[in-house]
Amino acid sequence: MIRSKKNIVLRIIFYAVILVFVVVQIYPIFWVVCSSLKTPDEMRYTAQYALPSGFYPGNYISAFTISSIPRYFINSTVVAVLTLIGIVLLGCPVAFVISKVRIKHADALMGFFLFGMMIPIFACLIPMFQIYNALGLRNTYWALVIPQVGFGLPMCIYLYTGFFKFMPDSLLEAAVIDGAGMGTVFGKIVLPMAKNTTMTVLTYNFVFVWNEFTYANTFISSSDMKTLPVGLNDFVGLFGRVDWGSTFAAIVISILPTLIVYFILNKNIIEGMAAGAVKS
Amino acid sequence: MNPKNKIQPLIFVLPAFVVYMLTVIFPILWSMGYSLFSWNGINDMKFVGLDNYVRMFTDKTFLGAVVNNLKFVLLGSVFQLTVGLFLAILLSHITKGGNLLRVIYFIPCIISSMAICQVFSKMLSAQPQGLVCYLMEKMGMEPFALLANSRTALITITLIDGYKYCGLYMIIFYSAFVSISKDVLEASIVDGCNLLQQYRYIKLPLIKNIFSIVVVMLVNGCLKTFDVFYILDNKSASTEMVATYMYKTAFNAVDFGYGSTLAVFLVVECLAAVFAVQKCLGSAKGDEAE
Repeated sequence: MIRSKKNIVLRIIFYAVILVFVVVQIYPIFWVVCSSLKTPDEMRYTAQYALPSGFYPGNYISAFTISSIPRYFINSTVVAVLTLIGIVLLGCPVAFVISKVRIKHADALMGFFLFGMMIPIFACLIPMFQIYNALGLRNTYWALVIPQVGFGLPMCIYLYTGFFKFMPDSLLEAAVIDGAGMGTVFGKIVLPMAKNTTMTVLTYNFVFVWNEFTYANTFISSSDMKTLPVGLNDFVGLFGRVDWGSTFAAIVISILPTLIVYFILNKNIIEGMAAGAVKS
Repeated sequence: MNPKNKIQPLIFVLPAFVVYMLTVIFPILWSMGYSLFSWNGINDMKFVGLDNYVRMFTDKTFLGAVVNNLKFVLLGSVFQLTVGLFLAILLSHITKGGNLLRVIYFIPCIISSMAICQVFSKMLSAQPQGLVCYLMEKMGMEPFALLANSRTALITITLIDGYKYCGLYMIIFYSAFVSISKDVLEASIVDGCNLLQQYRYIKLPLIKNIFSIVVVMLVNGCLKTFDVFYILDNKSASTEMVATYMYKTAFNAVDFGYGSTLAVFLVVECLAAVFAVQKCLGSAKGDEAE
């Protein structure tokens, strides 16, 4: 390409625009992290955009002590782990049967599961509330795990079938000739080969489950069982007006796990999001 | 592979099938049933036929919510589509560090709406003064809370929601741009295509069906929007959405019958919108084939 003056000016503008977007996307989070490290005096007397003068952990200590954030954290973790296990355990075999086992109506079965992607969860909220209420499941982990597994299945099955399409049939046939049954083929060949897809399903769903708000807000009323998003809402309701420092610390605590998982496994998450999007 | 017997595949499918039926399919049918009753969860259910639906179409709050929601669909879709497409174009022209930028631009997408809402409500708060009001004052403007003002609330929440989700559309457009074959682009350069012409005549037409997918997603997503509006609720009618109104009717006013009616409306609305958008953009695809 010719390096003319006009070209250089264009390049500068181009990078400036990119930088502006980086700042816009990151600044709110940066601001919260900074604010959470400010002492109460700094918070009151210095400008909102000023950087903290040092590393002041007091807000984090108070966020941990005045509220049940550790409890919320445990709840969120338990719900996330159970939901993820449930989704993969139930979804992967279905995807395997749909794409690799000769059965009748495989397409219909696939369509039936994919239909769930179009359904707004609000359509199911009232009956679910009734059912869980009647069964005494409200304020238990199951009230959060079961619906999220149900609504997570379509996406999981879709991602797995997308991968199985490229798995050569001859591989499975060879195993069958060697005397392997369906269970063995699935456990010994299919699952290990699908490791990468499993990772995508797990990380993708982790983000959603960790951030889930509606079910937790509807089915959980006891403060012992609340997850982080709902707990954070309560925390802000109680202390948000008076104690901004701890509020910011609480926000940072709640987003840290997703950020860590994201920075390690961003490839899987982005891949899952893009694939999932293009289907629905 | 062939199954050994008929039962084996069944064992593989059945658990997921049962959970899926119980959490997705039954509740929808159940909601449709509830919508024909008047019921507050405690007293006996009373069959009222289509009364709830009649009530819905004469309910001023509901009609207001539908109008708000349509405004939001329009504003939100245009905003997210433009920003997402713009970011994707920027990213596809970067040679070094594109991956890092993609990761950075995508960050808001993976943070919970609760955390994002709390951050913005603190930023936009007037009392105690948040960042935005502080800057307004410094610039000599009269500071006011954007979220509490019924005239600016809807547009502010639209921007916050757009901030959270535009990264998703960026990723989709970006993957589409990357998958365009290099040969086509090189051929166009040889033919003397400049950058703008490249987009106008080659890149954008080539990713046309990604466009229709994105529009379906945007319209569907905006129609059933809930979290951000529910959390940033300023108790005014100006930011009431169909989903938030349904939720409040069912769980705050404990009117399960009418709440179900609103839920059924939401499902029908979403399916109709998806169908309509696909119909419109699908016919566009047909033109191309001619």
